[in-house]
Amino acid sequence: MKKISLTLLATIVSALLITTSCTKKDSAGSASTETNRYSNNELKIGISQEFETFNPLISNMMATTYMSRMVLRGLTTINADGKWIPQLVKEVPSFENKKASIKKVNGKDRVVAEWEILDNATWGDGTPVTCADFDFATKVAASNNVSIPDKETYSQVEKISWDEKNPKKCTFTYDKVRWDFYMLGTFFPVPKHLEEPVFKKYGSQKEGYEKNSLYTKDPTNVGLYNGPYVVSRIQLGDHVTFIPNSKFYGEAPKIKKIIVKLIPNTGTLEANLRSGTIDLISTMGFALDQALAFEKKVKEEKLGYQVLFQPSTVYEHIDLNLDNPFLKDIKVRKALLYSINKDDLVNALFEGKQQPAIHLITPKDPWYTDDPSKVTLYKYNKREADRLLDEAGWKMGEDGFRTKDGKKLSFTIMTTAGNKTRELVQVYLQNQWKQVGIDVTAKNEPARVFFGETTRKRKFDSMALFAWVSSPESSPKVTLHSSKIPSAKNGYSGQNQMGWVNKKVDDLTTQLEAELDHSKRVSMVHEILKYYTDEVPVIPLYYRSDVAVIPTQMKGYRLTGHQFPETNDIEKWSLE
Amino acid sequence: MSENTPPTSHSTTTSPETSQLKIAEMEKAQSFSQIVFSQFKENKAALFGAFTIIFFVFVALGAPIIEWALGVDANTQNVFNRYKPPFSHIQASQDVREKEIENFIRRHPDAAEKIQTQLIAQNHVQPIRPEDALYEWINLESDKAIEIIEEIDTPFKNELINKVKNFNSYHIFGTDELGRDVLMRLVYGTQVSMGVGVLVALVSAFIGLLVGSMAGYYGGFIDTVLMRTTDALLSLPLLPVLVVIAAIDLQKIPFLNVITQYGNESIIKLVFILCLFSWMVVARLVRGSILSLREREFILAAKTLGATDFTIIVRHMFPNVIAPLLVAVTLGVGESILFEAALSFLGLGIQPPTPSWGNMLFNALELIYEAPFLAIIPGLLILLVVVSFNFLGDGLQDAIDPKSVKR
Amino acid sequence: MTTYIFRRIIQTVLLLIVLSYVCFNLMTLMPGDPIELMISSNPKITTEDVARLREFYGLDQPTYVRYKNWISTLLEGDLGYSRTYRIPVAEMIGPALKYTFILSMCSLILSLAIAIPLGIYCALRPNSKFDYIVNLLSFAGISAPSFWLGIVLIIVFSVKLGWLPAGGYQTTGLVYDNIFSEILDKAKYLILPVVSLSIQSIGRFSRFARSAMMEAMRNDYIRTARAKGLSENIVIWNHGFRNALIPLITIVTLSLSSVFSGALITETLFAYPGAGRLIYTSIISNDFNVAMVSFIISISMVLVMSLIADLLYGVADPRISYE
Repeated sequence: MKKISLTLLATIVSALLITTSCTKKDSAGSASTETNRYSNNELKIGISQEFETFNPLISNMMATTYMSRMVLRGLTTINADGKWIPQLVKEVPSFENKKASIKKVNGKDRVVAEWEILDNATWGDGTPVTCADFDFATKVAASNNVSIPDKETYSQVEKISWDEKNPKKCTFTYDKVRWDFYMLGTFFPVPKHLEEPVFKKYGSQKEGYEKNSLYTKDPTNVGLYNGPYVVSRIQLGDHVTFIPNSKFYGEAPKIKKIIVKLIPNTGTLEANLRSGTIDLISTMGFALDQALAFEKKVKEEKLGYQVLFQPSTVYEHIDLNLDNPFLKDIKVRKALLYSINKDDLVNALFEGKQQPAIHLITPKDPWYTDDPSKVTLYKYNKREADRLLDEAGWKMGEDGFRTKDGKKLSFTIMTTAGNKTRELVQVYLQNQWKQVGIDVTAKNEPARVFFGETTRKRKFDSMALFAWVSSPESSPKVTLHSSKIPSAKNGYSGQNQMGWVNKKVDDLTTQLEAELDHSKRVSMVHEILKYYTDEVPVIPLYYRSDVAVIPTQMKGYRLTGHQFPETNDIEKWSLE
Repeated sequence: MSENTPPTSHSTTTSPETSQLKIAEMEKAQSFSQIVFSQFKENKAALFGAFTIIFFVFVALGAPIIEWALGVDANTQNVFNRYKPPFSHIQASQDVREKEIENFIRRHPDAAEKIQTQLIAQNHVQPIRPEDALYEWINLESDKAIEIIEEIDTPFKNELINKVKNFNSYHIFGTDELGRDVLMRLVYGTQVSMGVGVLVALVSAFIGLLVGSMAGYYGGFIDTVLMRTTDALLSLPLLPVLVVIAAIDLQKIPFLNVITQYGNESIIKLVFILCLFSWMVVARLVRGSILSLREREFILAAKTLGATDFTIIVRHMFPNVIAPLLVAVTLGVGESILFEAALSFLGLGIQPPTPSWGNMLFNALELIYEAPFLAIIPGLLILLVVVSFNFLGDGLQDAIDPKSVKR
Repeated sequence: MTTYIFRRIIQTVLLLIVLSYVCFNLMTLMPGDPIELMISSNPKITTEDVARLREFYGLDQPTYVRYKNWISTLLEGDLGYSRTYRIPVAEMIGPALKYTFILSMCSLILSLAIAIPLGIYCALRPNSKFDYIVNLLSFAGISAPSFWLGIVLIIVFSVKLGWLPAGGYQTTGLVYDNIFSEILDKAKYLILPVVSLSIQSIGRFSRFARSAMMEAMRNDYIRTARAKGLSENIVIWNHGFRNALIPLITIVTLSLSSVFSGALITETLFAYPGAGRLIYTSIISNDFNVAMVSFIISISMVLVMSLIADLLYGVADPRISYE
């Protein structure tokens, strides 16, 4: 017995020693010893998500978008300041600069816009990028044998025409009048000279084009790319190597070789960074919690890294199921909102690096407002919540929970299982609602079940906690219009999971899409937000931030916080 | 011990007199269970294991009593005091304080009003609304708050001072990611983790023995059916099965919705999964040993003497397959405690905020640099339970195995 | 014997068909098929898009029809096309299986080579100091969760000491001069994952070896053999170990059956591009062709290993027969 307890003790002590010593020893880390680890010769980026082949028409994984912007450029993009800027073209057409106008074509009003491609824009093999490449892309996208995830981007342009003498000056005829015609951030050209033979040969077979596309068969062919870099090696599930494209139309990239390495476990990203396997952690890496912890260590141990936080367009919120009898009462919904202390939540759990949310438009959006005369703001006020619930007839019982007509005021909050931050927020909120006598139980599901079934078919009984990823100035119609309430009738395709019906909001969201005047659009959005914050169909929680870690000597790196990643500026990156 | 001494169990330190006594004792007629018990209690390691397990079972059952005795509960959050190291004193959060005052005002509305007027009159606090004076007061520093209340004339002076003093709590094992007490969470976590451990041990032993011995003893068609079922379950990809189970809504199933009214749906699913996927290795091991035993002389002898199949399997075969069985079962305990936590990543385990050792360990992982103790403490408890079950298993094996009985 | 093997092979094939059909159904039963996932991630999608894509992916057909289509293309030798990675399945799964096989086999061989002698040695000296230490270390190995172990190994050997790389399977972008330098480079990346996998299995194997050996050494024939004056080595190996083999065969064949299914956690932690991770991603992203091919492989491994175990029982104990 003695022997056992002694050995047991010994193992415990040694286990403790090992772990404490490795946490302590970290402080004598390697960063100081090799300050000159970086040069413009090579940069290794860590990502934690899987990627696919780079065909711009077909790919839809986040990590692929991130990387494809290094090698592929489209018509236009949003920069880090939230402005639409030209990429392959001379300027973004608008009604103001007379490059766009409304014309009657085939008996219908349409937008016609002129996109003029840069003279020196070429593919990696020297072939110029022309209107024909864009036209070819729309042709492929229109084929029923190709599985395009987002067909609308291409189908909104009905016709692309050009003068044979100037194949770089393209006239786009759109399907209708739309103010957002210039938002073609995901409209890519496809190199016709390389891909057309493939499409001709296999286009008639189902999935024939995508299986035989050169992006799949010969991904290192430089002619496939028009960005600052080209792919020199790609191994799916492991890494991609990029080298500069000598034919790039813009500023020559400074870094001579970029390797993007997949590190699937976020817990080991830090170790990989410190041991030199990677030099930079992209936005698809650290969770916020880890970034906060790492930032502290960077300061304490004077490591040569910088942790960047960038508020993003991701809106974390709780959808309330308005068919729930208790939630039909607006007083209960308001009480739910009054009783949560969002300021404490973001300060305590996120150390103020993420902002509390007030509605669905994110702060960097030109449509955003926090003006109390335009939207209703709810500040944490427990006593106000108590008062509202008392008024609604929910009486506090001996057990600390409220009841009415013998029924307990209780809800179920569902979210994605395994998402630590959400589970933490969930438990925090549970506790706050308990203080005002509302019983909330957790029921979490794998993301697939939660998004594929529960929220999509509105199968949650009262609350669903998740995020909406939007982009600046995107129409709120899909999430707010009453025709977008998912049901068997519309193939469960809408995203108004609350079941919110408001005639005024329906009208406004519809008018918004056809309104050509910017300031009028803004005031319409503000009116929608007024209804949204007054009626509380959703409990806003916080706006998420993107995080990345870069070496201190890195220059030219700027996070964007929206769906057009920082790699759009990769030619500006430098390590010296 | 020299190289050539035949190894016997527990041969370490038995003095001549005691072994004399033991021999005398053993010569008396003893029932099987008596033999097992007397053998078992001599094995110190096994006793240690048994006592540790009993200890944890008591902790699990007595969690509310422990909570009451320590005066700290497992669910009180204190988000501005996250990741405090072991042996920390922390101050209660604002909502806990205000809740206390709210209760006080509800119980003694008149006295509260008097205190409030005094607080304002003496200019100790400057609330926006007079009825908030007490709330303002309670959020002051403890020393300052006590100092002020000393000057106030009220019969509830001592009660209020005690309240302020109670806001300082002590956390032996520190606090977790929401500032909750780690010790109490471990105590409550014992319920789930020990529950899972014991359940899996029993179920896997029972089903494994049943299936393995039937298949091994009867052979032929029964063997084919049972072992192919085992193979099928072993080879079924776990992840899709779990996701499908997670998606099943038990309330929609006519028979099961009765059960879900009483218990938590996810716990029923958890038990079902653990029972379904825990026994295959045991069944394989048992069958392998029985195949070989079936052809031994003593089984033949028993058969010739007209023993029933049941007697042969239970009386003659079970004691001989116990060795691999116990190893598999006891090793399975630790695996299932961790498996339970892995399941909660699919929403199949227990739901937050209920703690278990496994999910405490998992949650601490990403922050292993910042708060290593959060991972180490539950990790050590799991180790202790695994060690205990294995020592208990070894002891049982020695005690039950007919060949090891010292006669 | 041959009829027995023949019968078992037929059983295996039948079971394989049944199980693959079950798996196919499981994959369809999982909520969130590719289209459903697209709907939830792309708010712009219209009702017509949904119908179009559903038809395109063949999701509007009943499961058995899709299973039939799938199996007929499989029988033609076409493993299909991965919808996640957009390349043929064979190109994706081939290298992953190779890497996983190397990793699992190294770990299995290493752990058997350490655990079996250790277990036997302990069984011959039960309750000695050495036995206690080995047992405690085994328990620590078993109860240490592999992700925890992996992270600690990375911190110690990659971050602190800088001896070994933290993750990957080879130095990215390195061009090898000869096969020898290639092996050396890849071996460096293998050490940590193999060690982290082995620590657990060493614990398991040594416990089984110890218990089986102890059990075997208690038999009457050991006493008889000793009484006959046979040398201790012969007693231990020919009489003892041979009889301890049956549970060991079970455990080792069980471990062998997962050499191609990979070790998800270890592969993820060490960024090792193995099959475990590929299978996981394919299930999560509903990549039918990849997932089904990997299911077929792992199911057949379990079934084949089960048959091999039964045959080996007969070798270890000639009394066992299956007629």
